[in-house]
Amino acid sequence: MRFFRILYHWLVPHEGNNHRAKALHHDALFAYVLLLCVFNLGIRYFHGKAPDVLGYAIDIRVEQLLAATNAQREAAGLPPLKLDNTLSAAAAAKASDMFAHNYWAHNSPLGKTPWDFIISSGYQYTLAGENLAKNFQTSDGVVSAWMNSPTHKANIVKSGYKDVGFAIVNGVLNGEETTLVVQMFGATNAAPVAQIPKAQAAAPAPVASPEVALEEPITVVPAEPAAINDEPKSEPAIALLPSFMSNTAFERVVASPKVNIPGLTNTMAIIVVGVLIGLLAVDAFVVSKHRVVRLTGHNMAHILFLGTIIVSGLMISRGSLI
Amino acid sequence: MKNGAFLHTIVLFTILFGGAFTFWFARGNTALQLAIGVVTTIAYVAWGIIHHSLKGDLHRKVVIEYVLVGLIAIVLLTTLAL
Repeated sequence: MRFFRILYHWLVPHEGNNHRAKALHHDALFAYVLLLCVFNLGIRYFHGKAPDVLGYAIDIRVEQLLAATNAQREAAGLPPLKLDNTLSAAAAAKASDMFAHNYWAHNSPLGKTPWDFIISSGYQYTLAGENLAKNFQTSDGVVSAWMNSPTHKANIVKSGYKDVGFAIVNGVLNGEETTLVVQMFGATNAAPVAQIPKAQAAAPAPVASPEVALEEPITVVPAEPAAINDEPKSEPAIALLPSFMSNTAFERVVASPKVNIPGLTNTMAIIVVGVLIGLLAVDAFVVSKHRVVRLTGHNMAHILFLGTIIVSGLMISRGSLI
Repeated sequence: MKNGAFLHTIVLFTILFGGAFTFWFARGNTALQLAIGVVTTIAYVAWGIIHHSLKGDLHRKVVIEYVLVGLIAIVLLTTLAL
């Protein structure tokens, strides 16, 4: 009985709680702020201590990326791209360079362009392009995000490309745990025009602007595509990789922590906002029914605001593209 | 007053829909989304203060309530961005 009295006091406005549910008083609202801060900091702390227990569930694999990319090309009426080992080696070298020099851009702070990595890998391109993605959780999520970006989509459905290479790497970029996906496109027998992908043109270029890159002389090598594609010419790029990584290390990133952070935070946010909206709705109903005049905020406005925040917040994705 | 209440509601909906739309527009850029969330929250708190001021029932307690609800929203957004 006492339990129900306490519950009534906390959840329903009446004379005893100054006609405002106790759970909506200032001290209670302040306690929610503090508890959410503790929850937020706790996740950061435990993720740092035990990422295998509390971490990000990731399942990104080259074969899935290739299948999803080719499915999009097929839907656009284009022939599929062939997975090319030299382009994959170039992508792996690019990913390693990004972690080594701590940058998130198409061109490195030292002025290296994507084309430098492709040439170093031994792929003699006549047309090339690059898509980058970080912090997505699934292969389909990566390709969907690329397809939702007009500039990245233009690369995926460009008819001139024949080959594609991928690298998927986990590491620390700008102090943040990052899963990087590098997708490099190429053609060796296309028209001898170097084309800078729009995806790169839209990206911040610390050293060389896309216009500068356009002026770069491109050596056109009339090579047989089969000779280029079928021979794994990965030696030059592997030489650029850190010693602890092998080429196969770039083919997939799979992580299955016991607790997935996005799932946990989404659930927590939905519960908190759901409870608050419920409390505000009950409060508004009871006060309106009893025609109580009091000095408080506008319950319906709070409900609309919190509803907007949760809908917007659930749209947040760690994944980003350039 | 009825016209005033209608105008206040329109302004509130503009703030909330505007915030949600720009939030969606900034997808893929978490830092920008958080900045939009903070701006939307500040606009909401300002709306609350102006609304109650024009209604003639503005009190320190009301201001604190709007600020606390705004703080809950900001901490929630930073948690969802983890």
